[in-house]
Amino acid sequence: MLKRLLVIFLLTALVGIFSLTALASPEGQTLIFGATGELRTLDPHVSVDNNAWRAIYYCYDRLVEYELGTTELAPGLAESWKVSPGGLTYTFYLRKGIKFIDGTPFNAEAVKFNFDRLLGMALAPSGTFGFIDRVDVVDGYTVNFILKEPFAPGVSAFATDQGNIVGPGVMDHEVNGDWGQDWLTEHSAGTGPFYVEEWTHGVRVVLARNDDYWGEPAKLEKVVIKYVPEAADLRMLLETGEVDIGEKLIVDQIEAMKGTPGVTVFEAPSFCCHYVYMNCQKPYLNDVRVRQAISYAVNYDGIINDLWRGTATQMRGPVPMGLVGHDDTVFQYQQDLEKAKGLLAEAGYPGGGFTLKIMHAPVIPEWRPMALVIQEGLAQIGIKVEIESYAWATLRDKLDKGDFDMSHGYWTPDYADADMFTWFWFNSENWGLAGNRSWYKNAVMDELVTRSRTEVDPDKRLGLFRGIQWIGTSDAVYLYLLQINYQIVMRDWVKGYVYNPMLLNMPNFPDMYIEK
Amino acid sequence: MNLLTYIVKRVFLIVPIVLGVLAITFLISHIVPGDAAQLMAGPRATPEIIERLRHEHGLDRPLYVQFGIYIAHVFRGDLGKSILTRRPVAADILGYFPATFELTTTALLLAIIVGIPLGIVSAVHKDKVLDQFSRLTSVIGVSMPIFWMGLLLMLVFYVRLGVLPGPGRITGASPSHITGLFILDSVLTGDWRALGDSLLNLVMPAFVLGNAVLARVVRMTRSSMLDVFGQDYIQTARAKGLIERAVVYKHALRNALIPTLTVVGLAYGELLGGAVATELIFAWPGMAHYVVRSMTSLDFPAIMGVTMVIALIYILVNLLVDISYAFIDPRIRY
Repeated sequence: MLKRLLVIFLLTALVGIFSLTALASPEGQTLIFGATGELRTLDPHVSVDNNAWRAIYYCYDRLVEYELGTTELAPGLAESWKVSPGGLTYTFYLRKGIKFIDGTPFNAEAVKFNFDRLLGMALAPSGTFGFIDRVDVVDGYTVNFILKEPFAPGVSAFATDQGNIVGPGVMDHEVNGDWGQDWLTEHSAGTGPFYVEEWTHGVRVVLARNDDYWGEPAKLEKVVIKYVPEAADLRMLLETGEVDIGEKLIVDQIEAMKGTPGVTVFEAPSFCCHYVYMNCQKPYLNDVRVRQAISYAVNYDGIINDLWRGTATQMRGPVPMGLVGHDDTVFQYQQDLEKAKGLLAEAGYPGGGFTLKIMHAPVIPEWRPMALVIQEGLAQIGIKVEIESYAWATLRDKLDKGDFDMSHGYWTPDYADADMFTWFWFNSENWGLAGNRSWYKNAVMDELVTRSRTEVDPDKRLGLFRGIQWIGTSDAVYLYLLQINYQIVMRDWVKGYVYNPMLLNMPNFPDMYIEK
Repeated sequence: MNLLTYIVKRVFLIVPIVLGVLAITFLISHIVPGDAAQLMAGPRATPEIIERLRHEHGLDRPLYVQFGIYIAHVFRGDLGKSILTRRPVAADILGYFPATFELTTTALLLAIIVGIPLGIVSAVHKDKVLDQFSRLTSVIGVSMPIFWMGLLLMLVFYVRLGVLPGPGRITGASPSHITGLFILDSVLTGDWRALGDSLLNLVMPAFVLGNAVLARVVRMTRSSMLDVFGQDYIQTARAKGLIERAVVYKHALRNALIPTLTVVGLAYGELLGGAVATELIFAWPGMAHYVVRSMTSLDFPAIMGVTMVIALIYILVNLLVDISYAFIDPRIRY
C-alpha cells in the first residue's frame, strides 16, 4: 500500500515539475489569431489596411514608437530626436548596431532610402508624410527631415504604420523599377521582433520570431494569423479553443461570448467614431438651424444603449475623449424635440415638411438600424428621412462628389493628434473624401484649423483646438453620434495583451504569451 | 458531320462567346458608379496620388480603348494586374482556383453518385414509401439556404460532437504543391495523412454545396426514368422475360440519363456561383473571397479574369456533356 502511494506521489511530483517547466519557458509557443479580414499586400508603403498592419507592424520598427499602452511617444530606432525652434527641421539620432532581417545594417542611409521609397512610390501611405520636403543624411547615424512648413503633429506621424522602416535590401528584388514592390507584397524587410515566414493567400500569415532582434526578443516563437471570413465561424473556433484570440465579432456574438467559460472579452474606449455627415451645400442643410434641429432630434441614448448595447459612448464634440486636445466642456446635444421644432420654425420650416435622404453601406451592419433611429427622431419634428443603401464603392464616390444629403460614416486617426479630427474635418480644402465630408465652409474655421497645424506652442494649439471644437459643435457640422469601444475576444490562457487605442487591430504580439 | 468536326466547331465558338461575356462584364463593371483609383488610394490620399494611380492603371482613357488594350493583353495570355493585390490576376486565380475546383467537383460527384441511384429507386418504387422519402429529403435539401445549413452542420458535427474538423481546407500541413488540388497532390506524393485530413475537411462543405444539385438530379432522374418506363421497348423487354434489374439498368437508365446529364452540366456553373457562400461559411480558401473583394472594390482586372475563367469552365463542361451524349446514346450523331 505504502509503495503504491509512494509511486503515485512520485508520479504526481513528476507531472507537476513537467507542467511547471512548461509554464516557465514559453519556448516554441504559437499564438493563433483569427481574423475575419484578409490582407491584400504586406508592403507597408502600399497598404492602408488594418488587416495588413496587424501582420506587419511588429515585423518593422519605427523611428519613434508609442509607449506600451499609451499614445505617448518613446524612442524607437531613434534614440532621441530634436525639433528645431521654428519647427522646420526634425533631427533623429539613430541607434547603432541594428540589422535588418536580411543582415543589411540599419543607419542613416537606410532611413533615407525608406523615405525615398515611400515618397517615390507616392502611394496612399505616403500621404501621412506629405509635409516632408527632403531627407538629409547628416552622418552615419543622424538624419534631418526638412519640412515644407511647420507641422505640429509631425513627430507622431513617425510612430504610425506608415512610419515602418523598410530596409534597402528590398532593392535586390527590384523588377522594372518597382522598388521591390512585387517581392515585398509577400515578404517583410524590417528590423522588428518578427518577420513574415509564410503567407498562404486566403488561409493564413505566419510570423516567426526574429532571434537576432536588437531589443527584447518576442516571447512567442510564432504567430499564425488565420483567415476566418465568417464571424460565426470565428466564434466557434474561439469556443473550441482552436483559435486563441480573434476579431471581429459582431455586438450580439460578443454579448453571447461574455458568458462563455474560458473566454475573456476585452473592452476599452477607442478613437473610432461613428458620425453622420450633413451636406452643408444642400438645401435645408445649408441652414445651421436645420442642422442644429436635427442634432436635437436624434435619440442618442437609444442608439448607444439599445443598438450598441452600451459598448459605445456619445461623442462630445468632434475630438474623441482620451485624445490630447479633447475639450471636456464642449457642448453635447441631447434629444430635445421642443427645441428642435423651435429651431426648424425659426429657419422658416415650422412643422418641417421636407424630405432628406440618408445613405449607408451594408458593410457596417450597425448603420442601417442607426439610420432607422435617426429616421424616427426626425419624423417627430416633421422631417421625412429616406434611407438609401449603397455598395461601399458607390457610397464613397457619392461622398467625394457631394452627391448626398446625409450619410453615415466613421473615422479613426492615423496619428495621435487632434489634428486628425479638426483640420481634416473642417478645412474647406478637404471637401469630399479627403475629410470634410459635410462640405462645410467657414472662413474663421479654415483660419483656425490651418493655424493649429503650424502652431508650435502646445498651449496655444490647445486653445485653437478648443475654439474649433466649440464652433464645430455650435455649427452642428456633423451629427456627433458615438465613439465605439474596441472589443477583442481571447482565451483565458492568452497573457500579456496590452491595449493601445492608436494600434487598433494590432495586438502587441511581442509581449504576448500563452499560459495553459 | 462527324464528332471531330463538331468538337472543332464548338471549340472555335468559345472565342466569340468569351469575348461577348467579357464585353458585357466590362461594360457593367464600368457603368457602376465608383472610382477604382479612389478606392485603391485609401481613405486619406491626396488628389495627386489618386490621379497618378488612375493614369498608371489606364483608368483615365476612353472605355473602348481600355477594353481594346485589355483584350489585346488577354490574347497574349496576360490577364493584367489586380488593382487590389498588385499581383498578376492569373497568379491570383491560379492560387485560389484549385480549392474551388476541388470543392465544386466533389460536390457535383456527390450529387451524381447519390442522386442518380436515389432517382432510380424513386422511379421504380413510384408513389411508395421509398419514393415519398427520397422526394421529401430532396425538397428539404433544396429549401435549406447554404449559410444556414453550413453553420448548423458545423455546430453539430464540429462544436458539439467534435467528429468533423471546423472551418478550413486542411487542419494540419498542406501536401506538397503539385496541382494545388489537395486530394490529388496527397495521392501523388503518398501523403496519406494529408489525404485523410483534406477528405475530412471536404465532407461538410461538399455536402452542403452538392445538396441543392442533388435534389435536382434526383427529380430529373426520377421523371425521365418514369418517362422511359412508359415506352414500348421497355414493355417489349419485360415481355420477352428479362429480369427487372436488366430492364431498369440496361435498357431504361441509359436512355433516361441524357436529361439528367444536361441538368448536371448546367448545374456545374451554378455550383461555381453557389460556392461563394459555401466557401465563406467554411473558410474555404477558394475564389469566393477573391471574387467578392474584387467586386466590392471595383478591381476591374480581377473581375474580368474571374468572369472569363468561370465562363470558360461553364462552356467546357457543357461541351463535355454534349459530347458524352454520343457515347450514351449511339443514335445521336453530330
